[in-house]
Parts: sequence; structure tokens; C-alpha cells
Amino acid sequence: MSTDYTTGTIIRRAFMEAPVLRHGLRLTLFMAMAGQAITVVTPIVIQQIIDEEILAPTGIDMSGVLQKAAVALVALVIGVVVGRVALLRLVKTSSSGLSDLRSKTFGHIMRQSVLHVQAERRGTLVSRVTSDISTLQEFMEWGGIGLIVGLSQVVLATAVMVIYEWRMALIALGGVVIYLMMMRWFQRILAAKYDEVRHEVGVSLGVMSESISAIPVVRAYGTEDTTKARVASAMEKRFRVEFTTGRFGNILYSTAEIFAGILTATLIVAGVLIGIDQGMSAGTLVAFLFLTNLLIEPLQIVVETLEFAQSAASGLRRVIRVLDDEVEIEEPSDPEELRPGGLSVRFDHVGYAYPGGPDVLTDISLEVAVGSRVAVVGETGSGKTTFAKLAVRLLDPSEGAIHIGGVQAPKIPLAHLRDRVAFVPQEGFLFDDTIANNVRYGRTESDDAEIWTAFHELGLGEWVDGLTDGLETRVGERGGSLSAGERQLVAIVRAWIGSPDLLVLDEATSAVDPVLDVALRHAIARLTEGRTSVTIAHRLSTAEGADEVFVFDGGRIVERGRHRDLLKLNGTYAGLYADWASGTNSV
Amino acid sequence: MTPWTVVRDGSRLIWRFVKMHPVAFSIAVFGAAMFAAAILASALVIGWITDNVIIPILDQGQEPDLLPIAAAAIIGVAAFKAVGIVLRRTAAGWLQSGTRRDVRNELLAHQLSLKMSWYNKQTIGDLLAVADSDVNQGTGVLGPLPYATGVTMLLIGTVSMISLIDPWLGVSAVVGLVAVIAIDVHGSWVTYGMWEEVQEGRGRVSSIAHESFDGALTVKSLGREHYVSGRFREASEALRDRLIEVNSTWTKYQVIIRALPQLLIVLLLVVGAARIDAGAITAGNVVTVAYLLSLLAFPIQLIGFVLWDLAGSLAGWKRVQAVFDADAHIEYGERAATTDGGAAAILGSAVDFAYDTEPVLTGLDLDIAAGTTLAVVGPTGSGKSTLSLLLARLWDPDSGQIHLDGRDLRTFAGSELPKEVSYVAQDAFLFDTTVRGNITLDAVFSDADIATATRLAGATSFIDELPDGLDTELGERGTTLSGGQRQRLALARALIRKPRLMVLDDATSAVDPSVEAEILMALKSADLPSTIVVVAYRPSSIKLADEVVFLDEKRILGHGSHIELLEASPGYAQLMQAYEKEARRLREEAS
Repeated sequence: MSTDYTTGTIIRRAFMEAPVLRHGLRLTLFMAMAGQAITVVTPIVIQQIIDEEILAPTGIDMSGVLQKAAVALVALVIGVVVGRVALLRLVKTSSSGLSDLRSKTFGHIMRQSVLHVQAERRGTLVSRVTSDISTLQEFMEWGGIGLIVGLSQVVLATAVMVIYEWRMALIALGGVVIYLMMMRWFQRILAAKYDEVRHEVGVSLGVMSESISAIPVVRAYGTEDTTKARVASAMEKRFRVEFTTGRFGNILYSTAEIFAGILTATLIVAGVLIGIDQGMSAGTLVAFLFLTNLLIEPLQIVVETLEFAQSAASGLRRVIRVLDDEVEIEEPSDPEELRPGGLSVRFDHVGYAYPGGPDVLTDISLEVAVGSRVAVVGETGSGKTTFAKLAVRLLDPSEGAIHIGGVQAPKIPLAHLRDRVAFVPQEGFLFDDTIANNVRYGRTESDDAEIWTAFHELGLGEWVDGLTDGLETRVGERGGSLSAGERQLVAIVRAWIGSPDLLVLDEATSAVDPVLDVALRHAIARLTEGRTSVTIAHRLSTAEGADEVFVFDGGRIVERGRHRDLLKLNGTYAGLYADWASGTNSV
Repeated sequence: MTPWTVVRDGSRLIWRFVKMHPVAFSIAVFGAAMFAAAILASALVIGWITDNVIIPILDQGQEPDLLPIAAAAIIGVAAFKAVGIVLRRTAAGWLQSGTRRDVRNELLAHQLSLKMSWYNKQTIGDLLAVADSDVNQGTGVLGPLPYATGVTMLLIGTVSMISLIDPWLGVSAVVGLVAVIAIDVHGSWVTYGMWEEVQEGRGRVSSIAHESFDGALTVKSLGREHYVSGRFREASEALRDRLIEVNSTWTKYQVIIRALPQLLIVLLLVVGAARIDAGAITAGNVVTVAYLLSLLAFPIQLIGFVLWDLAGSLAGWKRVQAVFDADAHIEYGERAATTDGGAAAILGSAVDFAYDTEPVLTGLDLDIAAGTTLAVVGPTGSGKSTLSLLLARLWDPDSGQIHLDGRDLRTFAGSELPKEVSYVAQDAFLFDTTVRGNITLDAVFSDADIATATRLAGATSFIDELPDGLDTELGERGTTLSGGQRQRLALARALIRKPRLMVLDDATSAVDPSVEAEILMALKSADLPSTIVVVAYRPSSIKLADEVVFLDEKRILGHGSHIELLEASPGYAQLMQAYEKEARRLREEAS
């Protein structure tokens, strides 16, 4: 995969990813330039009015003035209308194209393996589909148009100048070239300074965000004053950097004004000198001053836009990088569907290591027969959760092979696999929606009656009916208005409603209220009944009832067998069990 | 909203900001005035050069004596203009950045003074958006404001100059400029509502992305990527439509604004030609006026920009103002903390509490002797966490009082009560700093104090294993640590303060049971100067407490030792024995 992201490459990639962007682009550009070209007619006519009518030695012919004024107005109206249509076309294609690009980037991130989404800071990923795209959008709408219109104005003004008087045009163009070189140089100096600004902006936002999130802790520990001081000092630092950088940039850019003055003065002097020898008219020279103004004004815009273009380009570069990240869990090229009925799981010498990290799992071989209930136990960090993610193909192993229902896991179409296999993670994530809609994530077509029945079948009817709005109760951001145990309940119903043939369940580690915990355990028992199930057990009572227990330690399976036999070994399992049992005795 | 209210509310907003930095604003406007004067001067100079240099030399064949003076005048005016630009832009930068800094500081201070009842109704993402993008947007108008003020001066100057040259030209100019401004105001008013919708749309796109990435594990394990992507696409397309709508309106106004100055020039030439014809003015006068207006083409658009920005600023500021308008301030008394009094007794009487309308605690009476370790036990939703929040005065009871050693919690001055009471929540919040910084929270403690606190919290061994021990940087929210490790650091943070009352709300839930029991044992035997209130689930932990209160049905149903309650309270016994019953059932099933 190419890692070279030149501006040309990323723009081509953007057109490829969002073809709408290219839609009718040529016509739009043509119209923008045509509109601009027509508006240039107006100053020419103005010049003619001045030259041929107002300054005419024979006196003013009002009908001539009016005729020419009419031409100027018609040109203006046509130019403006054509220009607006072009702008509108650009706004439409850029909005549509960037919306497509945004959706595509989002979809791509969602297809990345879990590892990826969790490793990167979420805020960073969110900004890929929000602020980075918005910067692009703003650039295309304001900057892009400014650039096109400005550039075409520069080209046209230059052309008109050349037609009028090529020597003067040469001087003006030479000036423009020096001006542009100056600007490039300023920009390069400023770019480094702006990096510093961006850094301080990031730091101050981080401090602010932490302080707001920490308000309850700040309150509980009475550290209001230190918190305010911390934020104030970050804000002050940011302000200083913003201000000094701004001041520096202003001084640099103000030299452009002086330069424009020098250019105008040079043109007058040159025009007069040429005029004396070659008979150039006063009107032509005055028109030249207008044209120079017409040239310098868009140049300033073009230069500022180029600066804007740089930040838009770096935003686009970040977006394209995300799109270029490979999807680690890929759809099979030669798919093989699972047979109906219960599913077995087989691990053959499976190893797993996070990129650049040590092995998390080493040489795991095991078989879970159809319909059997298996428990996996081990200390925190023994690799149990990674094992669970491998078993449902949320991760792919770095070594060895995994078969589900006798088929190699990478050969099973993903949607088909997710339909047949359910995974209940430790932290049952809930969306800020109703209970019913959260359950529906397990099976989109379920109606309320089915969901209600599901709760009752799992012995949770009383719980759900006891909620203020029953199934329609809203669970809040991340399910925050339910307790951790209750969130787990909803996650279990969500798995149940999909009637999976293989269930992988990662028990929650946190202690929950004992009565709720028992309800949860009943529900889990119902859910695993008659199904192949792999439970990552934190409650060792789960292991007691399992057909087979795998004991993980340091990424390897150190003991395996039934609960009773494992206790007799007096090894790792017996130790874990004793620890757990000590926590649950009430007497 | 009418066009008038945009102007009125906008002026008020601008006045609020200008009051904060009057000097910077004045300097910026002075710079803008210099700039405006320079533009006028350059038009005059060009007119003068046309009349006295260009036409005499080129059309009348005079000697080019005045040429060097003409060149010097043009460059001199340009230099004057450059100084004006530096002054204006630099001072405007101070005004805008400084205002943002001040508003953000004010916002945080204000939020810190508000009650938890307000905080709980907000989402953190929203509050952050207010502090970040809404403040930016709300103050956006400050960027072009001084410039626009300068341009307004410029316009007044221009119109006066044109009127001096010729009243008829002046009238035409006034008519044209008034038309431009009226169109700007109208456009600003029309787009204000649209911008609000765009901001809403942006918020929705961002919150769907946040939530989806947050719940990525669940989404992927359920194979619902397509559903979530569809939801995102919908929001993105709604935003797209709103953007197209607002932009098509904007461009409509923009082209008019761009065309009007040209139109004005043509108009003035026609009027000017007629006036020259009538012998009222000279050709040079007309050239001056025409040049003046061509220079105005861009600045006139600036007035438009300010009005557009004003519409956006008003929309953004509305959300900032909503936070400032929240007035649920905590009320503090005058009392200073007494830190050396040893463990404190707690007396709660007739405490009622509700988060909304549904009561959580009713008529609760609680009497805890100084130095007791008390376990609070009860089923989910019985109000245990609420009780601990009330004891730490993170919330206040709706009625009734809570006393710490005979002093009502509400009589303490701000930041005083935390010197006597430490509260540890289940969800341990860690700061993006070192282990040490997380324990001390910038207060001064000796290494020996830190060692004692971490030992009691059972955190010493894992801290020693970190690469830099106590000085290890933990990163955002301390995500490099496990839940149990985070909880132990939060516990050490409370212990090091030697509080007279320590409230642990399920603060060791993610710690392994045997470790939890060890920690609680250590706390009991450490002879701390503290009364300890523990919300706990595990029987092993509860057994360690001197006393237990059993909370259910929104009040205390039992208070005594664990053994006493097991006998006296059937609800308590049922709750405590749930695990054992379940284990027995499973064992029977298995055999």
C-alpha cells in the first residue's frame, strides 16, 4: 500500500471514493469562469465610458454613455447569474460528495476489527468523520469557489492587460510573480508557527474536557481552585501563542500592501514614460490601474485560500489514511456457509499477539462439541477475553486456525456468521434509545410482542414490567440510567432474540446486587440451554455446571477438565475457586 | 426572530464582548480607521494623479515633472495602510482570542459552582461542545468586527466625499449603499434559523459517530455494522441537505452583494457624465468617485460577512448562554473544617430525596457513632448510592438534615467539607497525569504519606511494577490500568487525606474478592481517624463491617451487626444468601 500521500494523490483518491465530486465538475468550472469573464466586461465598458465619453475632447454624448452603461449592466447581470449557478452546482456536488465520503469513512471504520476501533482514541476517529470533513466542506464551498473565481479573474485581467499594452502587462505580471513568491515564503515560515498553535489548542481542549468530565471528583475533593487554575493556565498559554503568531503573520502580510503600492507606482511611471514615446492614452493608463486592482485583490484571496487549502488537504489526507487502513477482518473471497443446527468450535495451535506486542495467547488447541457448555477461567490478563474475541472472529489469530461448525472461520461470510453466533461482551453496551430498540439490535425485525415474550421466557418479565415505561423506557447515554447488572440483562435478551447456534459470553467482572445477579444467572442458564456455549467465567459457579472447564494462565491452557476433577488437582483452578468462594459466604 | 431582533441581540452580544476588552477593541477600530483613511487617501491620490499627472502628460504633452511625487504619494499611502492593517488585525486577534480565553474560564467556574442536579441533566459531550465549538462560533463575529467598524467609517467617509464633490453623486451613492446593507441584514436574518439547523445536524452526526465507535464491540459482535452505517448515512444526508439549503440562500445574497458595487459605478458614471455635461464637476472628480467605489467592492462585502457571522454567533452563543443561565448554585455556609477532630459521628434525620419526582429516600433516619465501619446493603435501586452522595454533600436532601459531628453539612464554606469527608465512587475517575498526581491532586503530601495510603489501598504492588512507579504517566482517563487498579488508586486518593468520614460507594467492586477483603481488613485495623461508610455487595466484605444498615423501600429497614440482621431481617437474609442458594441449586443439579 502506498504511503506517499501527495496532494495530487489524495485529491485523485477523494474523486475515486466519492465520484459525485467529479459529477459535472468541468461544466461547473467552465460556468464559474464564464461568469467571471462576463463580469470583466463591466470594467472595460467603464473604461470606455471614461475614455471615450467623459474625457472626450468633443464633449459628452449622453446617448453614448447610456448605451455603454446598458451594455455594462447586461454583462453584469448575465455574469452574476451564470456565476451563481456555478456556485450552486459546486455547493451541491461538494455537499453530496463529502457526505458520501463521510459515510464511506464511517462505514470503513465500523468494518475495522475491534482492536483497531478501541486502540485509537475515539475522539480522534470521531473527528475523522466530523471536523476533518467539515474543513473540506468549508474549503470547497468558500475557498474552492474563491480559488476558481479568483484564479479566473487573475487570468482574465492578465489577458486584458496583454491585449491593451504588453509591456505594461509584463511589468504587472513580473510584480505578481514576486508577490506570489513572497507569499509562499511567508506561508512556509508561518506553517511552523501554526503547528505550535494547533498543539496548544489541543492541549487546552484536553484540559478543559478532563475538567468538565471530572466535575464530580473535583467537587468531592474540593479542588475547584486548582482545577480552575489548571484550565486558566492552559488557556493563557494558548492565548499567548495564538496572539504572537497572529501578530507575526499580520506584520508579514502587511508588507504585501506596501508591495502593491510600489507596483501601482511603477505602473504609473512606466505608463507615463511609455506613453510619451508611443502615444498611450490617459484612459488606457487609468484602465490599467483598475486592472491592477482587479489583479491584486483576487491574488490576496487566492493566497489566503491556499493557506486554507493546506489545512483542508491535511484533513483529507487523514481521511484517506483511514480509508487506506486495511480491514483486518475481511469478507471471504470463496465463501462457505454453515450447515443449519448446532455449531462446534475448534482451535488448532492458535496464537495471538497484538501488533508489536508480546503473545497474548500461545498454542491454544481445544474443541467445543455441538451442544456442550464450556467455561473458561483464569486470572485477569490470562488471555480469556482475547480468546472469546477469536472464537467469534472479532479478531483473527496470528497463528493457527479456528473452525466454526467445521468451516474455517475466515471462509464464513461475516453477516451469516453474526446471524448464527452471538457474543455477549463484559460491558453490555446500550445505545441511547429504548429498551425495545436496544434488544432489536439483536434481530432488527422483532416486534414488541416478541421482545416482551423474550424477557418473560428468560425470567426477566417482572424486571421489565417494573420499569417506568416498560419496554419503552429510555436507557440514557451508554445505558447510564440502568445499573451495570441491568445493562447485562438487556444484552442477554438481545443475544437470545437472535436465537444463535453458538454463544460466547464474557461475564461481567463487577459485583452486582446479589438478587439481580441471580436473575442474571437464571437468564444465562436459559440462554445457554441446548446451545453450544463458551462462557468466560468470573463467577466460578458457572464453571461448576460446565461440561468442560479450560483454565488459562499466561496465555496458555494450563488445566482442563470437569470442575470436580480440577478441584482434586489442587492447582490453579483450585486456587481460583477458593478465592471466589471466600467472597460469597454470608456466614 | 425578525431582522430587527438579529440586529438588537447581535448588538447586545457585541457590547458584552467589547466591554471585556475595550482597549483592544479601540486599537483595532483605530487601525481600521487608519486603513479606511488610507483607502480614501489612495482614491484621492489616484484622482489627483489622473487630473494633474496622467492627463496633462499624456493628453496634453506636458513634462513629467510631477511623476516622482506621484509615485512617492502612492507608496506612502500604501505604507500608512499597512500600519493600519497590522494594528487592526493584531488588536482584533487579542480581542477574539482573549475573549475566548475569558469566556472558557468563566464557563468552567460557573459549572463548578452549579449543583449536581444540573450536571446530571447534561451530557458531557454537550458541555464540551459548548466550551469548544459554541464558544468559537459565539465569538466568531469578533474577527471581522473591527474591520467592519472601519468599513462603516470608510463608507461614511466615502459618501461624504462624494457628496462634497457633487450632491447628486452623493445621493446615488447613499441609495446604493443603503440597498447593500438592507440586503445584508435581510440575508443574515433569513439564514440565522438555517444555521441553527445546520449546527443541530452537525451535533447529530457527531453524536452518532461517538456512540457507534463507543459501542463498536457490541455493534460488530451483533453484525449490525450496516444498520449503524445506515443510521449515520441518514444523519449525514440530512446535514448535507441543510447545508445545501443554507448555502444556496447564501450564494443568492452573495452574488447580489458582489454585483452591487459594479452596478453603483455604472450608475455613478451615468449620473457623473450628465453632471460633467452640465458643467458641475470635472472628469477627474468622476474618476475619483469611480475608483473609490471599485476599492469598496471588497470591503462592502465585509459588512455582509459581519452580519452573517453575527447570525452564526447568535446561534452558537445561545447554547453558551444556556449554561451561564443555569442558576442552580450550591449554597455554602461560613463554617471552616476541623481536620484534627478524629473520626466524626453522623446523624441523618428525616431525610427525603428525589432526583426528579419519584422519591428515592423517604424519612430516612441514620445514626452512626464516630469511628464505626458501616456497610450499606440493599437491592438495586434502594438508594444506597444516593445515600453516599448525600453524605458527601454532592447532592442535598430535599428535606431533613445530615449532620457531621453535630454540624449541618450545608453550613460548611465552599471547599471546606471535602477536608473532612472523602468520597470514592464506583467509577474511578483518573486524571491524565502521574500516579502521584492522581493521589495527591496537587496537594502536598510526603512520600511516606503516599506509601501508607497506597499500602492500605492495596495498590503498592502494582504501582511498583509500573515503568516509572509513582511517576508513571497514566494517559487519558488512566485507560492503561485495569478497573480494579483504577479503583485502588482512587481509594488511595481518599485515604491520604485522612478524612474524618470516608464514603466508599461500591468503590472496590472491580477488585478480586480476596483482595477486597484484604483491603477492608487493612482499613479496619489501620486505626484511621475515620468513620467509614461502605456500599458493598459481597458478603465477604459486608461481614467485615462493625455495623450494617439494610436499605430497602426507600428507607432503612434494619440496622445492626451482620449476624443480628441475618436473623432479624428476612429481606436481608434473602439478599445475603442468594449466592449460596444458587450455588447449592447448581451443585444439586450437577449431581
